[in-house]
Amino acid sequence: MEFDFDLENPFSGSDEQNIQLSKALFIGSTDSDEPSLLFSAESDHMSSLAVALDQLSTRCHALSLIVQAQFSNNLDPALAYLAVNYIDRFLAKREIPNEKPWIARLLAISCLSLASKMKKTSFSPADLQREEGFIFDARTIRRMELLVLGVLEWRMRSITPFSFLRFFTSYFPLANPIIIQSLKTHASQILFKSQNDVKSLEFKPSVIAAAALLAAARELFPAHFLSFRTALLCCEYLNKESLAECCAAMESYDTTAGIEAASNGCDSAYSALTPVTVLDRHRAGLESEKTAGSASNG
Amino acid sequence: MEKYDKLEKVGEGTYGKVYKARDKVTGQLVALKKTRLEMDEEGIPPTTLREISLLQMLSQSIYVVRLLRVEHVEKNGKRLLYLVFEYLDTDLKKYIDTYKRGPNPRPLPSRVTQSFLYQLCKGVDHCHSHGVLHRDLKPQNLLVDKDKGILKVADLGLGRAFTIPLKSYTHEIVTLWYRAPEVLLGATHYSIGVDMWSVGCIFAEMARRQPLFAGDSELQQLLHIFRFLGTPNEDTWPGVSSLRDWHDYPQWKPQSMALALPMLESDGIDLLSKMLEYNPSNRISAKDAMEHPYFDSLDKSQF
Ligand SMILES: Nc1ncnc2c1ncn2[C@@H]1O[C@H](COP(=O)(O)OP(=O)(O)O)[C@@H](O)[C@H]1O
Ligand SMILES: [Mg+2]
Repeated sequence: MEFDFDLENPFSGSDEQNIQLSKALFIGSTDSDEPSLLFSAESDHMSSLAVALDQLSTRCHALSLIVQAQFSNNLDPALAYLAVNYIDRFLAKREIPNEKPWIARLLAISCLSLASKMKKTSFSPADLQREEGFIFDARTIRRMELLVLGVLEWRMRSITPFSFLRFFTSYFPLANPIIIQSLKTHASQILFKSQNDVKSLEFKPSVIAAAALLAAARELFPAHFLSFRTALLCCEYLNKESLAECCAAMESYDTTAGIEAASNGCDSAYSALTPVTVLDRHRAGLESEKTAGSASNG
Repeated sequence: MEKYDKLEKVGEGTYGKVYKARDKVTGQLVALKKTRLEMDEEGIPPTTLREISLLQMLSQSIYVVRLLRVEHVEKNGKRLLYLVFEYLDTDLKKYIDTYKRGPNPRPLPSRVTQSFLYQLCKGVDHCHSHGVLHRDLKPQNLLVDKDKGILKVADLGLGRAFTIPLKSYTHEIVTLWYRAPEVLLGATHYSIGVDMWSVGCIFAEMARRQPLFAGDSELQQLLHIFRFLGTPNEDTWPGVSSLRDWHDYPQWKPQSMALALPMLESDGIDLLSKMLEYNPSNRISAKDAMEHPYFDSLDKSQF
């Protein structure tokens, strides 16, 4: 069985034998059970803002590594998106000591590795590390992967805003598939960019999806923006206040700043570290982490 | 695995033993299932990761046995994964056996059969709506909480791939009794119908306390089915004669289901006949089965 993970269809096993079934499910998904399944499960996949804020600098370091990896290896943005989702959910549950910046790197590499396994892409941590100039050994990455899996309770089929795009486009006044596709494509770009914004952790994935689609509609099809918004506001699954807040946050967010902000905004103490000092710290850290690490070893 | 006290062996599965165990810290009873999945240098293999996360997602339903944790252990240089499930006191096969043998043999109460079948359809529909086929539904793979009257689907095929293994690691023959005719006839494409056929066989088995079709080879299994439902032909099942393993079989006429299963009332017979429909594309789905009049007398609000 190949259960390749697709951000838009987190619930599809995409088992080859089941393709027929998945198609039946996701075409015209509005009258299947899927939306209610998704909406009822999405809160399990949120990372709470309160916790994440304490760990802003860790998040920042980890994300900047992901962004670098994405550009230098030409990674699928959906892969990077999934990795960042894992990072956020991990940080919402586990605190990472600020004085150990190498952990942010290790976390980023492990999450990227896990995401690529979920998406069946051929990315290996070694590729990335060669470029970065310092290396965590396979055992360390393996242990970190297991730690991440444990903390995320093996829920690696994340429900993200992407999971809701198809459902919400059914509220758009036009049904032309080409128009819907361009709406989705544009909203996806907005989603990729908005992920770096820590504010995005505040909202439910469904709310973010609706806000991104609205922003896309405003740009691409302004004539239909109002009727789309009216229709979405009537959707039983969406909280109106929350949607309004999220739309405001998304507007205030400068989408061009996203990537640069992610790569430059972190504190400078970290960037002063040379690979050698990172590796040293990493070794020293591992010694003192032994107890924590073995706790996850069952 | 020092976290757990192994209490007893509860199952001998396809890939290894299943143990009843107690979590030393919480006191919770769990079932420990060793998988044949090993980790290599690259860490957790991608297929394992995708399958366990799928299992994790499916086990969010109360009609699917809950995956509590995944434990990894190093043993003789091998890294093994154990799945830790909630523990249920028995499986449906053992449960039916208590009505068949023992001090007081008697039929299963029809309320129980009805309620278990409904819960089975719920669990199967849950898997199907997530795009996953079970492929090996049978009484041993359905777990039962006797006191609460709960039934859950278990043993969702980790690595079962497209073919169900013919022999288990103990070289025990894997049962063919619940296998759909299209699978026995070598169909290359099959869908939710394979599971619904098994559900039908399990329904009849709860009513009879005996397996419906107990063949000991693929051919015998087909002949059992044909003898009961009549030999299929292009009229009753368009396309059947072009399936890979189709041959000329003896011609049987269908028997009366109501006569063969006198303990089922007419709604039950009607539902069973829709589950044992030859043509897989006409076979009833789990979702539609739940709406069948057979369940009208069931209080569905409890589910
Ligand atoms: N969670 C559980 N609680 C109680 N018994 C279980 C549990 N899981 C499995 N068993 C018992 O172990 C047997 C084999 O387990 P199963 O998951 O079907 O593995 P296999 O793939 O090896 O068939 C089952 O038929 C059942 O009797
Ligand atoms: Mg089994």
